[in-house]
Amino acid sequence: MPKLTFISSSGDRHEIAASNGASVMECAVEHGIEGIVAECGGSMSCGTCHIYLDQEAYERLGIPATAENDLLDFVNAPRRPTSRLSCQIKVDEHLDGAVISVPQSQY
Amino acid sequence: MTSTTILSKIPAGCPMHQAGERFQPFEHKGMTDFYASVRPEVPIFYAPSIDCWVVTRREDALAVLRDHERFSASNATAPIVPWPEEMHQFLRDQHFTNESVQVACDPPRHTRGRNAAMTFLNMKKFQNYEADVRALARSYINEISNSGKDIVDLVESFTYEYPAKVAFLLLGEKQLDARKLKQWADLRIKLIFGTLTHEQQMEAARDLADFWHFASALVEQRKKKPGDDYPSALLAARAGDDSILTENEVKSLVFGLLLAAHETTTNAAGNLLFELLKRPITWQAIVEDQSLIPNAVEEGLRYATSTIAWRRRAKVDVEIAGVQLPRGSQILLSLTSANRDEKQFADGEIFDIGRSNARSHIAFGNGIHHCLGAPLARMELRILLEELTTAFPKMRLEDEESISFLPTLSFRGPDRLPVRLNR
Repeated sequence: MPKLTFISSSGDRHEIAASNGASVMECAVEHGIEGIVAECGGSMSCGTCHIYLDQEAYERLGIPATAENDLLDFVNAPRRPTSRLSCQIKVDEHLDGAVISVPQSQY
Repeated sequence: MTSTTILSKIPAGCPMHQAGERFQPFEHKGMTDFYASVRPEVPIFYAPSIDCWVVTRREDALAVLRDHERFSASNATAPIVPWPEEMHQFLRDQHFTNESVQVACDPPRHTRGRNAAMTFLNMKKFQNYEADVRALARSYINEISNSGKDIVDLVESFTYEYPAKVAFLLLGEKQLDARKLKQWADLRIKLIFGTLTHEQQMEAARDLADFWHFASALVEQRKKKPGDDYPSALLAARAGDDSILTENEVKSLVFGLLLAAHETTTNAAGNLLFELLKRPITWQAIVEDQSLIPNAVEEGLRYATSTIAWRRRAKVDVEIAGVQLPRGSQILLSLTSANRDEKQFADGEIFDIGRSNARSHIAFGNGIHHCLGAPLARMELRILLEELTTAFPKMRLEDEESISFLPTLSFRGPDRLPVRLNR
């Protein structure tokens, strides 16, 4: 199972073993990671599961789809070059070791 | 299969049958008690009077809302009492060409509407309206203060119009008649979710046509002179390309906003104030500490959900909570019941503004149809409470027994909220 490390806005680190095939958002919610609200449940309708990936993981995943890219313009916390919506990232071995920073606020 | 046959197939002694017989879909009084009594044993039951399978638990409601592949939203706003042909003909004659673009349609059609709407209806954009919304709230406070009355109806003097005026901000029109819009919207709600007679339907149709002409005219104006507003943003997203969005779809989206942007917020505001004012200690708590307000808003949305139930239709044979339903079955998701489900909310029947997971309610739906206006509604409700607690901290509910709720299938809100201001 790929290991993911979440870093909260106050610097707390949580390492989780994520399930292949699930989304990063689903794994975060399942493991009680705070700050991933995901109000719409993963349908790219709310923009409240925003995260910052580490540069390397971001590049491994490739650029987000147009709809996700558009919605990232409207999220609450500042958009950064490695911003993603965690509901749109499927967990697989490529993501092993990814470091995911959670913004201070989703709304 | 007819509705009577479906019910006759469920054994009369079984709790599911009894729930179906006891359920009164249009009666708000006693509704939460009814759901609390059936939810532990009956996750789903058939309601013959509306030909719907009613889902009572949160996890099942969420599963349906998130599964747009198997559950269609096409019946979400279908009239409970079918419109007569005479009415359809009248609307055709009036060039009423409204079409389902968002709330009552499925992908890929839904996706085009949402992508365009989202360019304007989003958190970032709404934040720009905070000062205007607060100014609006204060204008109602000032009117109440200047009236010299000690007893006022908060629905009449504040929450009825306030969200409609916010909708006008989004439309870029400040000088519109909020009462007219509210009357149109009330009629439209009754036409869809109520039980009108033929005469009432025909009368309402005339207003519906007016309502549509108003939305169409607004879009036509913005074509000539665009502004920083919702119709202009839709036209910009369309960029003259019917493959992105047609002009009629733009008009339909604006027509939709004229209802969606205020009706449920008026109800949510009334419900929230009603629950808070019924509990003077809780009201006092938010007066003394306004930082409690955002979570109080969430608890209000959870406990006194204004969109009480929402419909879906099975696109294929499905199973919900162990019950097999054939393709075409209509499903009524009780958001009211889901939002009090003890599996998610400990002591869900208790109104607790300190509840840590209050925000996990599904008052704004879930999945691809999750309400785009949710951040705006939350802002309006927060500002409403901030301003009222500041202006009238000693306010108390008066004549609670006189408050009633309009009998519709999907919406709930008090018709009046008389309060003594105690200035």
